Amino acid sequence: MARSLKKGPYVHYKLERKVATNVENNKKTVIKTWSRASMITPDFVGQTIAVHNGRQFVPVYVTENMVGHKLGEFSPTRSFRGHAGAKNKGKK
Amino acid sequence: MTKEECFFLGKIVKKYSFKGELLIKLDTDEPNLYDDLDAIFIDLRGNLIPFFIERSQLHKSELLRVKFEDVDAEADADALMKCECYLPLTFLPELEDNKFYFHEIIGYKVEDKNFGDVGVIKGVNDSTSQSLFEIDRDGIEILIPMNDEFIEKVDKVNKIIFVDTPEGLIDLYLEE
Repeated sequence: MARSLKKGPYVHYKLERKVATNVENNKKTVIKTWSRASMITPDFVGQTIAVHNGRQFVPVYVTENMVGHKLGEFSPTRSFRGHAGAKNKGKK
Repeated sequence: MTKEECFFLGKIVKKYSFKGELLIKLDTDEPNLYDDLDAIFIDLRGNLIPFFIERSQLHKSELLRVKFEDVDAEADADALMKCECYLPLTFLPELEDNKFYFHEIIGYKVEDKNFGDVGVIKGVNDSTSQSLFEIDRDGIEILIPMNDEFIEKVDKVNKIIFVDTPEGLIDLYLEE
Protein backbone atom coordinates (compact mmCIF):
# COMPACT_ATOMS: atom_id res chain seq x y z
CA MET A 1 0.00 0.00 0.00
CA ALA A 2 1.29 3.48 -0.87
CA ARG A 3 2.21 5.94 1.88
CA SER A 4 -0.54 8.34 2.88
CA LEU A 5 -0.34 11.67 1.03
CA LYS A 6 -1.34 13.41 4.24
CA LYS A 7 2.01 12.48 5.84
CA GLY A 8 4.16 13.58 2.91
CA PRO A 9 7.38 11.84 1.86
CA TYR A 10 9.51 10.15 4.52
CA VAL A 11 12.84 11.89 5.17
CA HIS A 12 14.80 11.20 8.34
CA TYR A 13 14.56 14.31 10.52
CA LYS A 14 18.33 14.62 11.03
CA LEU A 15 19.02 14.30 7.32
CA GLU A 16 16.31 16.85 6.55
CA ARG A 17 17.88 19.23 9.08
CA LYS A 18 21.38 18.84 7.61
CA VAL A 19 20.16 19.41 4.06
CA ALA A 20 18.23 22.50 5.18
CA THR A 21 21.37 23.88 6.88
CA ASN A 22 23.43 23.30 3.72
CA VAL A 23 20.82 24.96 1.52
CA GLU A 24 20.46 27.92 3.90
CA ASN A 25 24.22 28.53 4.00
CA ASN A 26 24.61 27.75 0.29
CA LYS A 27 27.15 25.03 1.13
CA LYS A 28 27.82 21.73 -0.59
CA THR A 29 29.36 19.77 2.28
CA VAL A 30 28.96 16.00 2.03
CA ILE A 31 26.21 14.66 4.32
CA LYS A 32 26.65 11.19 5.78
CA THR A 33 23.53 9.11 6.30
CA TRP A 34 22.45 5.59 7.13
CA SER A 35 18.86 6.38 6.25
CA ARG A 36 18.44 4.53 2.96
CA ALA A 37 14.67 4.73 3.18
CA SER A 38 14.59 8.52 3.05
CA MET A 39 13.05 9.93 -0.07
CA ILE A 40 14.92 12.45 -2.23
CA THR A 41 13.04 15.75 -2.20
CA PRO A 42 13.71 18.75 -4.48
CA ASP A 43 15.80 20.37 -1.68
CA PHE A 44 18.40 17.63 -2.12
CA VAL A 45 19.25 18.57 -5.74
CA GLY A 46 22.88 19.63 -6.05
CA GLN A 47 23.88 18.13 -2.69
CA THR A 48 26.20 15.15 -2.26
CA ILE A 49 24.87 12.54 0.15
CA ALA A 50 27.09 9.69 1.35
CA VAL A 51 24.69 6.76 1.72
CA HIS A 52 25.84 3.75 3.74
CA ASN A 53 25.44 0.36 2.07
CA GLY A 54 26.35 -1.74 5.09
CA ARG A 55 30.06 -1.74 4.28
CA GLN A 56 31.00 1.75 3.19
CA PHE A 57 29.55 5.13 2.26
CA VAL A 58 28.66 5.55 -1.39
CA PRO A 59 28.60 9.21 -2.50
CA VAL A 60 25.52 10.20 -4.46
CA TYR A 61 25.43 13.53 -6.26
CA VAL A 62 21.71 14.30 -6.37
CA THR A 63 20.28 15.39 -9.70
CA GLU A 64 16.75 16.41 -10.67
CA ASN A 65 15.78 13.04 -12.09
CA MET A 66 16.49 11.34 -8.74
CA VAL A 67 13.70 13.25 -6.99
CA GLY A 68 11.02 10.89 -5.72
CA HIS A 69 13.38 7.93 -5.43
CA LYS A 70 14.83 6.64 -2.18
CA LEU A 71 18.49 7.13 -1.29
CA GLY A 72 19.10 3.39 -0.97
CA GLU A 73 18.40 2.90 -4.66
CA PHE A 74 21.69 4.61 -5.49
CA SER A 75 23.86 2.71 -3.04
CA PRO A 76 23.77 -1.01 -3.90
CA THR A 77 24.37 -3.48 -1.07
CA ARG A 78 25.49 -6.35 -3.27
CA SER A 79 27.87 -6.55 -6.21
CA PHE A 80 27.01 -8.93 -9.04
CA ARG A 81 30.05 -10.94 -10.09
CA GLY A 82 28.43 -13.26 -12.65
CA HIS A 83 26.65 -16.57 -12.33
CA ALA A 84 28.43 -19.51 -10.72
CA GLY A 85 28.21 -21.73 -13.80
CA ALA A 86 29.40 -19.11 -16.28
CA LYS A 87 33.11 -19.59 -15.47
CA ASN A 88 33.12 -23.26 -16.48
CA LYS A 89 31.21 -22.78 -19.71
CA GLY A 90 34.35 -22.67 -21.85
CA LYS A 91 35.92 -25.83 -20.43
CA LYS A 92 35.07 -29.12 -22.15
CA MET B 1 42.63 -11.86 -29.87
CA THR B 2 41.86 -11.76 -26.15
CA LYS B 3 39.04 -9.99 -24.33
CA GLU B 4 41.56 -7.57 -22.81
CA GLU B 5 42.33 -6.25 -26.29
CA CYS B 6 38.65 -5.78 -27.10
CA PHE B 7 35.65 -3.85 -25.87
CA PHE B 8 32.11 -5.08 -25.38
CA LEU B 9 29.99 -4.04 -28.34
CA GLY B 10 26.70 -5.68 -27.42
CA LYS B 11 24.75 -8.87 -27.11
CA ILE B 12 22.80 -10.92 -29.64
CA VAL B 13 19.25 -10.74 -28.36
CA LYS B 14 16.94 -11.92 -31.10
CA LYS B 15 16.63 -13.67 -34.43
CA TYR B 16 15.27 -11.69 -37.36
CA SER B 17 13.66 -13.30 -40.41
CA PHE B 18 14.16 -16.95 -41.36
CA LYS B 19 17.36 -16.30 -43.29
CA GLY B 20 19.67 -16.32 -40.28
CA GLU B 21 19.68 -12.61 -39.53
CA LEU B 22 20.26 -11.52 -35.95
CA LEU B 23 19.66 -8.47 -33.80
CA ILE B 24 22.50 -7.19 -31.62
CA LYS B 25 21.65 -4.89 -28.73
CA LEU B 26 24.45 -2.33 -28.83
CA ASP B 27 26.00 -1.09 -25.60
CA THR B 28 26.94 2.33 -26.88
CA ASP B 29 25.78 5.94 -26.85
CA GLU B 30 26.35 6.29 -30.58
CA PRO B 31 24.95 3.26 -32.47
CA ASN B 32 25.41 4.88 -35.90
CA LEU B 33 29.21 4.45 -35.58
CA TYR B 34 28.79 0.69 -35.86
CA ASP B 35 26.29 0.21 -38.68
CA ASP B 36 28.92 -0.47 -41.34
CA LEU B 37 31.30 -3.07 -39.89
CA ASP B 38 33.15 -5.76 -41.84
CA ALA B 39 33.53 -8.24 -39.01
CA ILE B 40 32.99 -8.65 -35.29
CA PHE B 41 34.21 -11.08 -32.66
CA ILE B 42 31.66 -13.32 -30.98
CA ASP B 43 32.33 -14.96 -27.63
CA LEU B 44 31.69 -18.66 -28.15
CA ARG B 45 32.46 -20.77 -25.06
CA GLY B 46 35.07 -18.30 -23.88
CA ASN B 47 36.85 -17.89 -27.23
CA LEU B 48 36.53 -14.87 -29.47
CA ILE B 49 35.65 -16.06 -32.97
CA PRO B 50 35.60 -13.58 -35.89
CA PHE B 51 32.40 -13.48 -37.94
CA PHE B 52 32.29 -11.63 -41.24
CA ILE B 53 29.30 -9.42 -41.89
CA GLU B 54 27.47 -9.68 -45.20
CA ARG B 55 25.17 -6.75 -44.48
CA SER B 56 24.02 -4.75 -41.51
CA GLN B 57 21.70 -1.89 -40.68
CA LEU B 58 20.40 -0.14 -37.60
CA HIS B 59 17.08 -1.43 -36.36
CA LYS B 60 15.02 0.88 -34.17
CA SER B 61 17.15 2.84 -31.70
CA GLU B 62 19.93 0.66 -30.35
CA LEU B 63 19.64 -2.62 -32.23
CA LEU B 64 21.87 -3.65 -35.12
CA ARG B 65 20.37 -6.06 -37.65
CA VAL B 66 23.17 -8.26 -38.97
CA LYS B 67 23.53 -10.96 -41.59
CA PHE B 68 26.71 -12.96 -41.05
CA GLU B 69 28.48 -14.92 -43.78
CA ASP B 70 27.72 -18.66 -43.58
CA VAL B 71 24.81 -18.10 -41.20
CA ASP B 72 21.96 -18.71 -43.60
CA ALA B 73 19.32 -20.51 -41.62
CA GLU B 74 17.47 -20.17 -38.35
CA ALA B 75 19.29 -23.20 -36.95
CA ASP B 76 22.69 -21.50 -37.54
CA ALA B 77 21.39 -18.33 -35.91
CA ASP B 78 20.16 -20.29 -32.88
CA ALA B 79 23.75 -21.27 -32.07
CA LEU B 80 24.70 -17.59 -31.75
CA MET B 81 21.77 -16.47 -29.63
CA LYS B 82 22.60 -14.67 -26.36
CA CYS B 83 26.31 -14.47 -27.29
CA GLU B 84 28.35 -11.37 -26.54
CA CYS B 85 29.97 -9.37 -29.35
CA TYR B 86 33.32 -7.62 -29.17
CA LEU B 87 35.46 -5.31 -31.29
CA PRO B 88 39.19 -4.52 -31.00
CA LEU B 89 40.02 -1.45 -28.88
CA THR B 90 41.60 0.15 -31.94
CA PHE B 91 38.10 0.54 -33.42
CA LEU B 92 37.12 3.08 -30.79
CA PRO B 93 37.08 6.65 -32.06
CA GLU B 94 39.22 9.08 -30.04
CA LEU B 95 37.25 11.26 -27.68
CA GLU B 96 37.93 14.94 -27.28
CA ASP B 97 37.89 17.36 -24.35
CA ASN B 98 36.94 15.85 -21.01
CA LYS B 99 35.33 12.75 -22.47
CA PHE B 100 36.95 9.36 -21.87
CA TYR B 101 36.32 5.64 -22.07
CA PHE B 102 36.13 3.80 -18.76
CA HIS B 103 38.89 1.36 -19.69
CA GLU B 104 41.39 4.08 -20.64
CA ILE B 105 41.37 5.90 -17.29
CA ILE B 106 42.51 2.91 -15.26
CA GLY B 107 45.86 3.90 -13.78
CA TYR B 108 45.21 7.63 -14.10
CA LYS B 109 46.09 9.86 -11.13
CA VAL B 110 43.38 11.95 -9.50
CA GLU B 111 44.12 15.42 -8.16
CA ASP B 112 41.61 17.35 -6.12
CA LYS B 113 41.49 21.14 -6.19
CA ASN B 114 41.55 21.43 -2.40
CA PHE B 115 42.96 18.11 -1.21
CA GLY B 116 45.77 17.62 -3.75
CA ASP B 117 46.88 14.15 -4.83
CA VAL B 118 44.06 11.70 -4.08
CA GLY B 119 45.37 8.45 -5.55
CA VAL B 120 45.27 6.20 -8.58
CA ILE B 121 42.11 4.99 -10.34
CA LYS B 122 41.88 1.23 -10.05
CA GLY B 123 38.43 0.82 -11.54
CA VAL B 124 35.08 2.27 -12.44
CA ASN B 125 31.94 1.17 -10.64
CA ASP B 126 29.07 1.42 -13.10
CA SER B 127 26.63 -0.83 -11.27
CA THR B 128 24.60 2.16 -10.08
CA SER B 129 22.88 4.81 -12.15
CA GLN B 130 25.73 7.16 -11.29
CA SER B 131 29.16 5.76 -12.14
CA LEU B 132 31.92 6.10 -9.56
CA PHE B 133 35.71 6.38 -9.76
CA GLU B 134 37.28 3.71 -7.55
CA ILE B 135 40.52 5.28 -6.35
CA ASP B 136 43.26 3.51 -4.46
CA ARG B 137 45.14 5.57 -1.88
CA ASP B 138 47.67 3.42 -0.05
CA GLY B 139 45.20 0.54 0.22
CA ILE B 140 42.20 2.74 1.08
CA GLU B 141 39.37 2.80 -1.44
CA ILE B 142 37.96 6.25 -2.21
CA LEU B 143 34.79 6.67 -4.27
CA ILE B 144 34.09 9.82 -6.25
CA PRO B 145 30.94 10.25 -8.37
CA MET B 146 31.69 10.58 -12.07
CA ASN B 147 29.89 13.83 -12.65
CA ASP B 148 30.55 16.86 -14.83
CA GLU B 149 30.15 19.01 -11.71
CA PHE B 150 33.19 17.37 -10.15
CA ILE B 151 35.45 16.74 -13.15
CA GLU B 152 37.41 19.87 -14.02
CA LYS B 153 39.90 18.62 -16.58
CA VAL B 154 41.19 15.37 -18.04
CA ASP B 155 44.88 15.51 -18.91
CA LYS B 156 45.33 12.50 -21.19
CA VAL B 157 49.00 13.25 -21.88
CA ASN B 158 50.09 13.14 -18.24
CA LYS B 159 47.28 10.76 -17.24
CA ILE B 160 45.80 12.99 -14.57
CA ILE B 161 42.16 13.79 -13.84
CA PHE B 162 41.59 17.08 -12.02
CA VAL B 163 38.50 17.11 -9.82
CA ASP B 164 36.79 19.56 -7.50
CA THR B 165 35.01 17.46 -4.91
CA PRO B 166 32.70 18.87 -2.23
CA GLU B 167 34.12 19.44 1.23
CA GLY B 168 34.43 16.28 3.30
CA LEU B 169 34.12 13.71 0.51
CA ILE B 170 37.69 12.44 0.58
CA ASP B 171 38.03 12.83 4.36
CA LEU B 172 35.02 10.53 4.69
CA TYR B 173 37.16 7.56 3.63
CA LEU B 174 40.35 8.62 5.37
CA GLU B 175 38.55 8.89 8.75
CA GLU B 176 37.25 5.30 8.62
